[in-house]
Amino acid sequence: MTDQWVTFAKLGTADLVRLAGEIDLANAPEIGREIARQTGRSGAVLIDLTAVSFLDSAGVRLLDALVGDLDEAGTPIRLVVGETGAARMTLQLCAFRDDLLATDLDRAADEVGR
Amino acid sequence: MPWEEDPGDLYEHAPCGYLTTLPDGTIVRVNETFLAWTGYARSQLVGQRRFRDLLSPGDKIYHETHYAPLLSMQDDVHEVAFDVVCADGRRLPTLINSVLGRNPGGSPRLIRTTVFNATERRGYEKELVAARRAAEASEVRVRALQEVVANLSAAPTASEVAEAVVRAPAAAFEADAASVWLVDADRDQLTAIASTDSAGPARDDIPRGSSRPIAEVARRGDLHVVHCLAGAEEQFPELAETMRRLGYATAVLLPLTNGFAGESIGAEVLGVLSFAFTEQCELTDAELSVVRLLGHQAGHALDRARLYDDARRREARATFLAGTTRALEELPRLMPRARRLVERVVPEIAEWAAVRLQIGPAGLLADAGSPAPDPERLAERVALVVANGKPEFTDDGPDPDCAVLPLSVSGKVLGTLALRMAPGRRTAAAEAVFLTDLADRAGLALENARLYEQERAIARTLQRSLLAGDPPTDPRFAVETHYQAATHDLEVGGDWFDAFLITPDKLAVVVGDVVGRGIDAATTMGQLRSAIRALASAEAGPARLLERLDRFVDRVESARMATVAYAEIDLTTSEMTYACAGHLPPLLTKPGDAPTYLLQGRSGALGSRAGRTARLEHRTPLPPGSRLLLYTDGLIERRNRRLDKGFELLARTYAGRRDSPLPGLTKGLVQSLVGTDHADDVCLLCLAIGTEERLERSIGADAVQIALLRKDLRGWLVSHDVDEESTQAVLLACSEAVANAIEHGYRNDPFGIVDVTATVTTGAVEVEVTDRGDWKATGSSQTRGRGLKLIEQVMDEVVFDRAEGTTVTMRRTRREAR
Repeated sequence: MTDQWVTFAKLGTADLVRLAGEIDLANAPEIGREIARQTGRSGAVLIDLTAVSFLDSAGVRLLDALVGDLDEAGTPIRLVVGETGAARMTLQLCAFRDDLLATDLDRAADEVGR
Repeated sequence: MPWEEDPGDLYEHAPCGYLTTLPDGTIVRVNETFLAWTGYARSQLVGQRRFRDLLSPGDKIYHETHYAPLLSMQDDVHEVAFDVVCADGRRLPTLINSVLGRNPGGSPRLIRTTVFNATERRGYEKELVAARRAAEASEVRVRALQEVVANLSAAPTASEVAEAVVRAPAAAFEADAASVWLVDADRDQLTAIASTDSAGPARDDIPRGSSRPIAEVARRGDLHVVHCLAGAEEQFPELAETMRRLGYATAVLLPLTNGFAGESIGAEVLGVLSFAFTEQCELTDAELSVVRLLGHQAGHALDRARLYDDARRREARATFLAGTTRALEELPRLMPRARRLVERVVPEIAEWAAVRLQIGPAGLLADAGSPAPDPERLAERVALVVANGKPEFTDDGPDPDCAVLPLSVSGKVLGTLALRMAPGRRTAAAEAVFLTDLADRAGLALENARLYEQERAIARTLQRSLLAGDPPTDPRFAVETHYQAATHDLEVGGDWFDAFLITPDKLAVVVGDVVGRGIDAATTMGQLRSAIRALASAEAGPARLLERLDRFVDRVESARMATVAYAEIDLTTSEMTYACAGHLPPLLTKPGDAPTYLLQGRSGALGSRAGRTARLEHRTPLPPGSRLLLYTDGLIERRNRRLDKGFELLARTYAGRRDSPLPGLTKGLVQSLVGTDHADDVCLLCLAIGTEERLERSIGADAVQIALLRKDLRGWLVSHDVDEESTQAVLLACSEAVANAIEHGYRNDPFGIVDVTATVTTGAVEVEVTDRGDWKATGSSQTRGRGLKLIEQVMDEVVFDRAEGTTVTMRRTRREAR
C-alpha cells in the first residue's frame, strides 16, 4: 500500500517515479522496495520529488541505494526537485552530486533519453 | 254336519300316504295320496311289491338292519327317514311311522304304515350340513383376514400396509406367492414395495401406461382371476409367460382401491396385490368376495397412510419454511442471506442449489452441493424463468429433477433459485406448491436485503459527505476528529461532529447523536448539522441555539430526542460557553490539571417532553494548551459495564495521553477504549486551544508516530510565527532525533516512550528529545550517522547527553535573529 506516496509512469523512454507526501523512516523501506521492483529493467529513471513535503535520512538512504544500483547497471538517473522545498533541502544537506539533481522534469527526460 | 267326512275318502286323500302290508312287506292296500306322490298305479303295487322294494339301496339295508327288527320287537317305529324311489326313478324323501298288528294268538297279522313327505325338511338338513362345512372353511379365511385388517389399521406407512397385505393370500387362501405394487402418482408408475419372495420386491418400476398386467389392472380397477395358463394366454400373454417361468397355475390380480364394496366409480386405485398358486385352483364366489374385501381394506389403509404421509410432509415443510424465514432474517445483508438460503436448501431439500440475483452487471451467485447441471442448459432455463417469471420443472430429460424457480416480489423477478431435488425425495414437480412457497418467501427476504443494501450504501455516502469537510484551520486552535462505524450493526448511525467559525474570532464545536439508524438517521443528522450552522450567531450563545433547535425539532420530527454537546469558544478572550442537550458531558484538560467532565449547562434532549426544557449554558475559561473532548456514547458505553466505570476509564486514558500529539489522538482513544470490534458507532472531536508556550509530547517508539508528531510540531511552530526555513529545519532535526531514539535507543521496542519538548523564544527554537533506552551503535551506524549529521547541519547547537538513556538538545536561531 505505497500508492499514496509513489506512482509510476513513462516519460519518453524513461521510467518516471513520482514521489509525494512525507517520506520518512515509517514508509521509506517499503517505497524503496516498490521502486526497485518497478525499475529493475529500466533504460533510464526519473525520480520526481517535487511533491515531497518531507524527506528524512531514511528517504535519503533509499535514494542513495537506488542511485548506487542504477549507476552500477549503467542506467541514467535524475532526481527532479523543486527550487526550494523539503526534498531539495535534505538532498543538498546530504551533498548529492549536482549531476543527479534537476529542476525541470522535461529537460531531465531529454538528458537521460539521449 | 259340514265336517262329517266319508271315511273312505278320508283314507284315500289324507295328507299322508297309507300303506298296509303283510308281515313280509307285501303291499296289500295303498291310498291315493301315496300313489300320487310316487307316480305308481295301484295295480303296480298291490300284491306285486314289498315296501322295501320301493327304497333306495342304502335305505334297503337300513330297512333290514334297523326298521324290521325294531318293528318286530316293539310293534311300532317312528320317524324313520327313507328315500322312496318313485316310478320315474326320482327319490322322494319321506318319514315313516309303522305299527305292527298281531293276531289274537300273537303272531304278526299286518303292518300299517303312514308316509310323510319330507322333501322340504331334508332340503334344510342338507343345507345345514353344507353350510357347516362352508362355515368351517370360511372361518379360516375370516380369521386370516381379521388379522390382516387389524395389522392394516395399525400400519402408518404405505410400506407397512404392503407388508401386512402381502401375507394375506397365503394365510387366507394358501396362495404360494404374493407381491404388492404401489401406484406412484408423481412419477406415473407402479413400484413393487413388498413380496413374499425371499429376494424381495421386483426392482423395475412399471409405467402406468404400460401393457403389463399389473399396469392394466391398475388402470381398469377390476379384479382379474386367471384360473389357468390357457386363460392367461388369452387375457395377458405376458402374465402367462411369467406364470410358466415361475411355475404358477393360477394367478389373481387385485386392485387395491379406496372405494367401498360394490362401488367402483370414483374409486382410486392405490396399488395392486398379485398372488399365485402352483396348483390350479377354482376360487369360489365366497372366496372371491373375500378377495375383493381384502382389496378394499388394503386400499383404505393405503389411503390412510397417504394422508398420514401428506400430513407429515406438510408439517415438515411448514417447519422448514418458518425456519428458513427466521434464518434469513438473522442476516440483513444480501450475499450472506443468499448464501444462507442455499445452505438451508442443501442438503435437506436438494442435492444441489444455486441462487442467482440479477444485481449488478455480472449478477450475484451463491450455490452449494453437487452435481451442478449442464451450465449452458441451465443458463437457457434461467433466462426463460427470468423472462416469464414462471417456474420450470423437468422430471425427465438430461437434467432430471432440476427445477428453476423465479425469486420475485410483486411481479418483479429479482433472480432465480435453481435446484435438484435430493435423492429419495419427491420430484420437484410434485413439490411444486412447496417450492413455489419457498421461492416466494426467499424472494421477499432477498428483495428486503437488496433494499437494505441500497439504503445502507446511500446512508454511508450521505454520512461520509457530511463528515468529510475539513475543520477550519487557524493557528489559534486545532481540531482533530474521528468517526468509526460499528462492526456488526451494518446500518449507519446518526452520530456526527462539526467545527466551524461563527465569526473570525468565535469558533463553534459540536458533537451530536440522532436517534435511530440507517438512511433516516443520516438524513436527520445532515438536517440538524445544517440547522446548527444556520442558527448559530455571534450574539445568541449555546442556550439560545438549543431553544431554536427545539423549535426546529417541532418541524423535523425525526430529530426529536437527538442529543447535542455544543460549545462556542471566544478566541480573543479564551473563554468557552457550552451546553449539553441530553448529551454526555465534554471532557476538558487544562494545562497542568487532571481531566474534568464539564457537568454544568445540562438540559434534556432536543424536543424532549420529559426533560428539562429551560436551556442552560455555562461559561468557563479555556487557557491556551487546553484540550476539549466531545464524544458520543459509543466511546464509553458497554452493555456489561456501568456507565460511571466508562467515564472513569475515559478520563484515565485521556489523562495518559495528555502529552500525545493531537493528530491521531482521537483515533488512538477509540483504539484503546473500543478496539476494532464494537457494537456502536463512535464519533469524537478534540479541540486543542491556544498556543502552548512549551510543547510537550510523548510518543510510542513507533516510526509511524513520527509523522503525527511532525504534524503537531509544524502547527505549533506556525502558530509561533516561526519562519518556513527554520520550521523545516526543526522538523527534520526532530524527526531524525526521534528516529534515532526509536532505532538505536529502543531498537524498535514498541513499549519505549520518546519525550519531545519544544520551546520558542523570540530568538530561537529549542527542541529536546529524550529516550530511556540503552543507545547502541548497531551495524547501520553509518546510515544513522547520516541522520546525526543532518541534525548537526540544520541546527545551530546540538548536545547529546547519555546519562540514563539519551537526551538530545537542539537549538536553532530564528531567521529574524540571524
